[in-house]
Amino acid sequence: MATIDAGDVGISEVNLKIRELAEKGENEIVLYNPDARHLISVGVIGKSKIKIKGSAGYFCGGLSDGPTVEIQNNAGWGVADNIMSGTVIVGKNAGAIPGVGMRGGKLVVKGNLGSRAGAMMKDGVIIGGGKANFMAGFMMMGGRLIVCGDCEGGVGQNMISGTIYVGGEIQSLGADAKFEEMEEGELEDIYQLLDEFDLPHPESFRKIVPEGKQLHYAKYERKLSPAKISVPEGPMWDKRLVEDIAVKADLGRYRVRSFGSARHIPTFDDIAFKITPEMVLSQKNPRARCRLDTVLGNKFASNPLRLKMPILIAPMSYGALSKPCKVALAKASSIAGIAINNGEGGMLPEERAAAKQMIYQCLSGRYGFSPHDMLRADAIEIYISQGAKPGLGGQLMGSKVTPEIAYLRGLPQGIDIRSPSRHPDVLGADDLIIKIQEFREVTAGRVPISLKIGAGRVNNDIKIALKDTVDFIEIDGMEGGTGASSSVVTDNVGIPSLAAIVQAMSGLDEIGCGGQLQVVQMGGIRDGVDAAKAIALGAHAVAVGTATLVAMGCTGCMTCHTGNCPRGIATQNPELVSKLEVDCAAARVASFLDSMGTEMAAIALACGVPSVHGLCRDHLVALSPQAAEITGLPLAREGDMLA
Amino acid sequence: MCGIAGLMLRNSGAIGKKLVGMLDGLQHRGPDSTGFALYRQPAADRMVMRILLKCSAETHEGKSRASKVLQILRGFGVEVLSDSYTQEHYRLEIAPVPAVKDLSYAVENQAGVEILSFGSALEIIKDVGSSLDISKRYGIEAFTGTHCIGHVRLATESIVDASRAHPFWAYGFSDVAIVHNGQITNYWKMKRRLQKTGYQFRTDNDSELIAVYLADKLDRGFSLEEVLARSVDELDGTFSFLVSTADGFGFAKDHLAAKPMVVLEKDDMVAIASEEVALNRLFPGESLDTYEPFPGAYKTWQLSTLAMSA
Ligand SMILES: Cc1cc2nc3c(=O)[nH]c(=O)nc-3n(C[C@H](O)[C@H](O)[C@H](O)COP(=O)(O)O)c2cc1C
Repeated sequence: MATIDAGDVGISEVNLKIRELAEKGENEIVLYNPDARHLISVGVIGKSKIKIKGSAGYFCGGLSDGPTVEIQNNAGWGVADNIMSGTVIVGKNAGAIPGVGMRGGKLVVKGNLGSRAGAMMKDGVIIGGGKANFMAGFMMMGGRLIVCGDCEGGVGQNMISGTIYVGGEIQSLGADAKFEEMEEGELEDIYQLLDEFDLPHPESFRKIVPEGKQLHYAKYERKLSPAKISVPEGPMWDKRLVEDIAVKADLGRYRVRSFGSARHIPTFDDIAFKITPEMVLSQKNPRARCRLDTVLGNKFASNPLRLKMPILIAPMSYGALSKPCKVALAKASSIAGIAINNGEGGMLPEERAAAKQMIYQCLSGRYGFSPHDMLRADAIEIYISQGAKPGLGGQLMGSKVTPEIAYLRGLPQGIDIRSPSRHPDVLGADDLIIKIQEFREVTAGRVPISLKIGAGRVNNDIKIALKDTVDFIEIDGMEGGTGASSSVVTDNVGIPSLAAIVQAMSGLDEIGCGGQLQVVQMGGIRDGVDAAKAIALGAHAVAVGTATLVAMGCTGCMTCHTGNCPRGIATQNPELVSKLEVDCAAARVASFLDSMGTEMAAIALACGVPSVHGLCRDHLVALSPQAAEITGLPLAREGDMLA
Repeated sequence: MCGIAGLMLRNSGAIGKKLVGMLDGLQHRGPDSTGFALYRQPAADRMVMRILLKCSAETHEGKSRASKVLQILRGFGVEVLSDSYTQEHYRLEIAPVPAVKDLSYAVENQAGVEILSFGSALEIIKDVGSSLDISKRYGIEAFTGTHCIGHVRLATESIVDASRAHPFWAYGFSDVAIVHNGQITNYWKMKRRLQKTGYQFRTDNDSELIAVYLADKLDRGFSLEEVLARSVDELDGTFSFLVSTADGFGFAKDHLAAKPMVVLEKDDMVAIASEEVALNRLFPGESLDTYEPFPGAYKTWQLSTLAMSA
């Protein structure tokens, strides 16, 4: 037995000790004076037993695989979050979201369970000896939740899979949950589990399962024949609008669509560099003379991303995209010396193997999220929202939810996935700090932690991000691409990248923190010139999504969401997928990325700076009064060009 | 987006020191500003007005604002017993007055200052910086009294400054203060409604709205408990807030239970905080018998009995 006195030491030190002892195979570790502090015993891999003599704060025992954690008294929010296996026992009460995102193992709370117990859990068992607060089993995706006492309202709200058993009174069921008769042997199973933890047997249990009404759209879009639309193209009415109305009349709901923005918004085309064309053309061998190398995320992390040029491949999920497409993008990122972001749906092993540097995204649904993959990642990103669908979660239509993708995500196969619109354990900027610290604890501060936000109130959001201690922030303009979103939101919500990057800079300046947070701008970056413009406006790097897909053969047919991509890029249909040749696609994307690098270098040199990071606002002009208004750049007039 | 804490003792004690510790334990939830609403036994013969001059009292502008305040008070026939200042913070002891609201509006509107608190038991001290920091600057640790509430702020929308720091005084209502964690989504609607009935707002902070909303209800003769009961239905959004009066305090929590709050009740005290870690600051090394209130819950305690009234 080993003991640790947490009394006067920082929590990181406590966790390092626990992990060190666990790795050595110490079978019992006793921790004194926990005093309800946060993040105790997170990220522990192995079978040790950890006894906490007192109360624990947020996320105790979370993101672990294997250990038994015994908390003598209470636990704060998110106890046992995302555990893969092992057992966490709470002697008294647990705060909100106990067992959030659990993927296996057992959580036993002898007292009451806080609200939204088992939110987004995929597997494993949660047992509550007392009552359960509001919305037990909220968006549960698998596993079992057993509540011995009474439940407040909304039990099983929007549950997708899994089973809830309640021994006491149930105030009300949540949306899309229903009662079901217990099968033979089920009650005995529960009693056996209760016996294992010395919990008394309630006389009977009621069983709650998903009703399943919300797991599929009631109707799908049918293909309209274009010949039937005869409206002329004009400012008020056009073919797309007529089609839109016809489809909505059919479905009675919004349309789902994919690809980038389909309407006119101010873009990087509306600004230009103050240089004459000859100055760009006269640059010989720009790559050799201009520095593009970029360090990203070195604010707190000891191992930041080291990029050969300030470009990332934007997060795009395996699910929206096919496996060969993901692997090709990963290979291209390695050839180009940059990093890829895995996107939603878990880390695809083949993609990880092909990528030299990978950012690992943590999204609201926590599909496939695991501490092991966190340790394999080169950076971790908390997704708040994206430009194409700010305020909404990801969508993946059932036609793309193959057995493999369903397995990776921990969801039933074939459902129309609509990811939660917010994180179960981040309900404000104050909770977010603790989540970020949790990720730092798990990775011992090695890798950068970033945020991705859809551009809305960037001016406020960037200040919050700065205070929340991220290493960098990714801002996605409204024109950003998507694999599937509601077209209403895609075309009408948020602000464009041009406005976003300007607001980000002014937000930091307003609080005297200019230059203190690296910004990655994405959304509508289509070549090296766009990238150079974003950097001149203040971005530290850019990310490209749609353009990389186009480079590998996407024709922009806007049907990614249907899963019928004719090029094998955004589909899971084996026949179509087989059309995409990984190495060829990778080479094309790498070559496109290389061209971006050359364009950036040529522009920087033409502006008279030896590094792309030397570009600044002084090198830019606005081409329209609108762009001048948005960016604060001067309008192009005679004599503006640099000689 | 913040952390909140409150404490009530049966017998007067070192509440300043205790609250500084609790808020230090919550500082990760809000690094921008910190504030304290501290209560003594109400005095029959004096009231304390704490004013934010909005510039240092050492400057010419600060001096002229302070003397303007004195002039207005004299105009109202108020006897000033003493005054003192620390940087922007101006503290006056005056003989008791009945027309708290009218006097307050006159002082603010004519002297260009802001009243942070006014009452016979309450003093609010709030500023940009951490709990330990502000304690040092304003001598919070030395304060003894019966109860207190406090706040650490992470600004999400409005500016970081002393006026937008919490606690908020329930404007015009002596000795009532609130601290809040969350976001009121029917802010504009409620604000317009209150403005129509003559209330003035000093900030765009939604927590100020809660303070004025509560003050208005108290003014109409509702008990603290009735006011809290109504607030959980009438205020929309996510919130956990604490309210304190000269002899009572309580909490209310939204129906979504989106903001954390933990309560510790003992025979001789009640302590409430966003997180248990703050409560453990009062009892290091102990396992505490706490509970997390259910959604839509509210509860009040009276100093005289320190017994539950809800
Ligand atoms: C097919 C596809 C899938 C996407 N999946 C994700 C995702 O899983 N997570 C995410 O943060 N963004 C996702 N996005 C958005 C991109 O990361 C990025 O914000 C956007 O593509 C940038 O704009 P661009 O396409 O104009 O370069 C996806 C975009 C596309 C086109």
